[in-house]
Amino acid sequence: MTTTLAIRGVTKQFGHGATSVEAVRGVGLSVESGEVLLIMGPSGSGKSTLLSIMGALLRPTAGTVTLNGVAISQLPERDLPPVRLREFGFVFQDFNLLAALSALENVALVAELAGTARAEALRRAGELLTELGLAERVAFLPDQLSGGEKQRVAIARALINDPSVILADEPTANLDSSNGHEIMRTLRAVAKERGRSVVIVSHDQRIRDIADRVVWLEDGQLRDLMTMAVDPVCGMSVEHDRAVTLEQGGELRFFCSRGCRAEFLGELDGPAETRPARTGPLASLFQAVRPKTP
Amino acid sequence: MTAARLALRSLARHPVRLAASVAGIALALTLTLALDAIYTGVANGLTAYIDHTGADVWVSQAGVRNLHMVASWLPDTVVDQVRAVPGVTDATPILYSTDTVAAGDDRGVAYVIGLPPGAPVGGPWSVVDGTGQPTAGGVVVDAAFARRAGVSVGGQATVMGRSARIVGLTEGTGSLVNSVAFVPFADFRAARGGAPVVSFVLVRVAPGAAPEAVASAIEAKVPGVTAMTGSAFSAGERRLVMDMSADVIAIMDGIGFIVALVVVALTLYIAVHGSRHELAVLKAIGARNRVLYATVLAQSAVSVAAGVAVAVGITAALAVVVPRTGVALEPALTLASVARTAAVGGAVALIAGVLPIRDVAHVDPLTAFRRGGAPA
Repeated sequence: MTTTLAIRGVTKQFGHGATSVEAVRGVGLSVESGEVLLIMGPSGSGKSTLLSIMGALLRPTAGTVTLNGVAISQLPERDLPPVRLREFGFVFQDFNLLAALSALENVALVAELAGTARAEALRRAGELLTELGLAERVAFLPDQLSGGEKQRVAIARALINDPSVILADEPTANLDSSNGHEIMRTLRAVAKERGRSVVIVSHDQRIRDIADRVVWLEDGQLRDLMTMAVDPVCGMSVEHDRAVTLEQGGELRFFCSRGCRAEFLGELDGPAETRPARTGPLASLFQAVRPKTP
Repeated sequence: MTAARLALRSLARHPVRLAASVAGIALALTLTLALDAIYTGVANGLTAYIDHTGADVWVSQAGVRNLHMVASWLPDTVVDQVRAVPGVTDATPILYSTDTVAAGDDRGVAYVIGLPPGAPVGGPWSVVDGTGQPTAGGVVVDAAFARRAGVSVGGQATVMGRSARIVGLTEGTGSLVNSVAFVPFADFRAARGGAPVVSFVLVRVAPGAAPEAVASAIEAKVPGVTAMTGSAFSAGERRLVMDMSADVIAIMDGIGFIVALVVVALTLYIAVHGSRHELAVLKAIGARNRVLYATVLAQSAVSVAAGVAVAVGITAALAVVVPRTGVALEPALTLASVARTAAVGGAVALIAGVLPIRDVAHVDPLTAFRRGGAPA
């Protein structure tokens, strides 16, 4: 794995003098390709500010942001739109789809903005949406989609220009449990099968399950780095302290749930066969990652 | 293309807002377009007589270059002098005055033409009842005027202070401001004291002869006259009328421009303000400001183009409907008028589109992360 995005000594100060606020203070962090990084922390801890700095939407007051070896924090504003367009994919809590465009057009638009011909953009958008299980919904307006479907469209939009990094801001906050899990699995598949770095800002404890690494941000500073392990059954990351464990042959294994451990031991019949067949690069997402039994 | 498509989709997403905007623009532009059409119609009415006399050249008192609000008097010996000019086929003298014609309870201003018997040119061109050649003690009046006055052929009218029997009704001889009435040349001369004068000499030129050349020859050979081709004489008349109305039209154009500008600017401001979150999202995902500017300008252009189209449609409909209501007015929609309105609309679209650019430029992409912006 190679480092995709690195920030060094990043500080962001808003305002001046006595009323100034330091939202982020001397944060250093790097994300590898294929890694899912979860940034957690209480409200007002600077998570979204940090995400905005990482995505070149906000310039740090001090420190550097390096993307694939290029210090993007030093680039002039006029050079940043293409960086945002081609190197980052944004997934928002509120989905932020353009209400006047269909799902297909919402996704294709980003490719068109990057200079792709309309026909090609639509073709690629159609492929992505099909891979994400939305083949039947491409012509629907956002208002006609469920929350989970909207977020999958948003993920397709984030992926269409094949960016290095996906930045997701509370991607499951507006979703029910089932859709939240599906989005989490999708984001993990994006990282693992496409080799993209995925950075997620969230309060949602469930996202810990899919993260390779969790960092805790409080008062603008990183506090603690949690140790994670990969569940050998579902592929999700689990904290050592919270995992269900199994010692076998002198080796300690970590599982996200007793169900996964049972399945590992061959005691559980997986229900995955009942899911509809999917095709495309993300197909394994819907086959290998099975719903877990709590 | 991306910007245009975004603009169209965004407009279509808010049909009520679009309809209100288009209606406002259309109303403002209809104001100027309809007024222009009315003045053009009036000018057409005022030049109708000149345009239909059949004369190739008009000969008038030196310096007289139109009919409206002028007097032209030439000694009647001029007629033979004009006839003698090479290229002249025939020369018909007419007497002319602006006077009132009264019948029943109605009275109106009229171009009164004193017409010689059997005149080959200068007479009415569309007779709907009776004769077009007024006989002694008779008058030919405009049919619309007669209808309003409640008289017909055989009825009485007062013209040039004398009572005359209506012997014919014509059409196409009335406008909002006046009509054309024809009386015998001798009656006209008698009413004016019998002086041996004529107002104009209407000339037809020989086949193959150029009216301009004949007009120049007349001015060279006949002293004290101005000779103009029929088209030049008509243009002079039209120019005079339009010049008289130019200030009014300019004022109305200005008002229409300002109203349209305010409507479009306000609509766009509301649209931009209402879509700040979407613009922020576009910026966050990497759209350059120029894409957003183009989107706003395209919205402005589409609204104004639709407004211009509706305004043209309304005015064209008025041009058809108004004459059928019995009003002596035929609004005329011209290409020049449409082009001017479209140009005004273009300026409105451009200015209204540029106004919110500062707002667009300052949209903060970070607002895309704020909750409750525009969830879709």
